[in-house]
Amino acid sequence: MDWIVQASTYADDVDGAILLITYLVGFWFFLTAGLFFWLIFAFRKRDGVEAEYLTGGEQQPKKFITWAHMLVLVCDVFVVIAAIQVWVEIKQTLPDAPETQTVRIVSQQWAWSFIHPGPDGQLDTADDIKTVDDLHIEVDRPYIYELTSRDVLHDFSVIAFRLKQDAVPGRVITGWFQATKTGEFEIQCAEMCGIGHGLMPGMVHVQSPEEHAAWMASKSNGAMLAQAGR
Amino acid sequence: MRTAKNLFVACAALALFGLTGLAIAAPALAEDGQGEALFNLCTQCHGNAGEGRQNLEAPAIAGLPEWYVTTQLNNFMSGARGTHFDDIQGMRMRPMSRSLTGEGDVEAVSAYVASLPIVTPARTLDGDAAKGQGMYALCASCHAIDGTGSEPQGGPPLIGQSDWYLLSQLKKYQAGIRGRDPRDTFGLMMQPMSLTLPTDESMKDVIAHIMTLSGESE
Ligand code: HEC
Ligand code: HEC
Ligand SMILES: [Cu+2]
Repeated sequence: MDWIVQASTYADDVDGAILLITYLVGFWFFLTAGLFFWLIFAFRKRDGVEAEYLTGGEQQPKKFITWAHMLVLVCDVFVVIAAIQVWVEIKQTLPDAPETQTVRIVSQQWAWSFIHPGPDGQLDTADDIKTVDDLHIEVDRPYIYELTSRDVLHDFSVIAFRLKQDAVPGRVITGWFQATKTGEFEIQCAEMCGIGHGLMPGMVHVQSPEEHAAWMASKSNGAMLAQAGR
Repeated sequence: MRTAKNLFVACAALALFGLTGLAIAAPALAEDGQGEALFNLCTQCHGNAGEGRQNLEAPAIAGLPEWYVTTQLNNFMSGARGTHFDDIQGMRMRPMSRSLTGEGDVEAVSAYVASLPIVTPARTLDGDAAKGQGMYALCASCHAIDGTGSEPQGGPPLIGQSDWYLLSQLKKYQAGIRGRDPRDTFGLMMQPMSLTLPTDESMKDVIAHIMTLSGESE
C-alpha cells in the first residue's frame, strides 16, 4: 500500500497484516453477498410454490453453513498469526543496536512537545533540545520513545510510520520507530482529548545525518535560546 | 407506488430545507453577530461574561482593548506566544486562536471581547499594596498610573484582571516562557521589566496594589 507513503521499517508489515485481512474478509464478503443475491433471484416468488421454513433443528440442511464456518475459522488463524507477528515486532520488542537514541514525547491539551537528546546523544544532559510541535530525527536510525501525558489520554499517531500509541497520564510508555525516508510527516492525536483535539497537529522532520547535525547546531547556538528552552 | 411518491416528496422537502438553512445561516454569520457567535467557543474557558475561570487557568478577558486581544490572538496563532515547552496554559489557548480561520474572525471576536463590561476580580492572593505602590511606579510608564494600559507602549490594562493570572504571567516572563520569542515584539519589552520583581513577595505586593486599582478593597 505505498500509495499512502510508508516511511518506517515496520510500515510495510502493518500494511501486510491489513491487506491480508482485507483479502480474506473481501473474499468471503463477495462470495456470501453473491450467494445471497443469487438465492434471492433463484428462489424468487413463484405461483403455487410455498416457502419452506427451516428451524435449524436438523443437521442436514445446515451442513453448508457449518462448512463455511469452519473455513472462516481457518482464515482467522492466519489473521491471528499475522497480527501477533506484527504486534510482537512493534510493541513487544525494542531495538538494541548501539546507535539507538531515545526521545521523550510529551502530550498535553493541545500540543506535542519533545525532548531530543542533543549532540551528545544522551537525555537529561545540558544539551537536550526541547521543542513544541516539531520532532527532529535522523533517517535510518532506530529511536526509542518515552511517551507521557501532562493531563488526559492522547494518542501519538504518525500515519507514514504506521505508528499509533496511546499516551496515558501517570505512565511512561516506551516504544520505538526507525524512519526510512527523509521528509516531513504529520503527527495527529488519535484519541479524543477535549475541545482542541483536532487542533493539535505536529510534524516529524526526518533528516539526513548532516541535516540533523546542522539542526542541532542551530538549536544549541546561543545560551539565551537554549535557556529559554527552544 | 403511493409510498414511493411520498418518500420522494419528503426527500425533496428536506433537501430544500437544508439549502435554505445554509443560505440563511451563511450571511447571518458574516454580518453583525460574527463576533458574538465566535465568542461561544471562548466561553468554554473564559466564562460566559469573559470573567475568567481559575480552575481552567483561563484569565478574564472581558473589556480588554481590541488592539490587545488582536495582538494576543495573532501571537498565539503565529506561535510567538504559547509555544514554549513549559507554557502549559498557553498551549491550551493556542489551538483556540487557530480555530479563527475565517476572514475577519480575529477582528470580530476581538471587538466583541472589548465590548464586554470589565469584571471586578476577587482577590485570591495576599500582598502588601502599600509596598507594591512604590514598585508600581515603573510599571505605570507602560500600564498607566491607574492601570488602564497604554496603547502606544503596547501595555495592556492590568485592572479587571485576576491576581492569580497576573502572578502566573509575571513568572512566565521571568522564566522566559513568555516574551522571549523573536516575533513577540511587545512581549520582548515586558520580559526584562519582570526581572525588576525578583521575589514572589514583591510580585504579590505589586499585584495587591493593582487589585486596589481594580476597585477591590483590602
Ligand atoms: C480551552 C480553553 C480556552 C478557550 C476555549 C479559549 N481560551 Fe483564551 N486562554 C486560555 C488560557 C488557559 C489562557 C491563558 C494563557 C496563559 O496563561 O498564558 C488564555 C488566554 C487568552 C488571552 C490572553 C489574555 C491576556 O490577558 O493576555 C486572550 C486574549 C484569549 N485567551 C482570548 C480567547 C478568545 C477570543 C477565545 C475564543 C475564540 C478563547 N480565548 C478561547 C484558554 C482558552
Ligand atoms: C516598557 C513598558 C513596560 C513596563 C515598564 C512594564 N510593562 Fe508590563 N507589559 C508591557 C507590554 C508591552 C505588555 C504586553 C506584552 C505582550 O503583548 O505580550 C505587558 C504585559 C504585562 C502583563 C501581562 C498582562 C496580560 O494580560 O497578559 C503583566 C502582568 C504585566 N505586564 C505587568 C507589569 C508589571 C507588574 C510591571 C512593573 C514591574 C510592568 N508590567 C512594567 C510593557 C511594560
Ligand atoms: Cu490529544
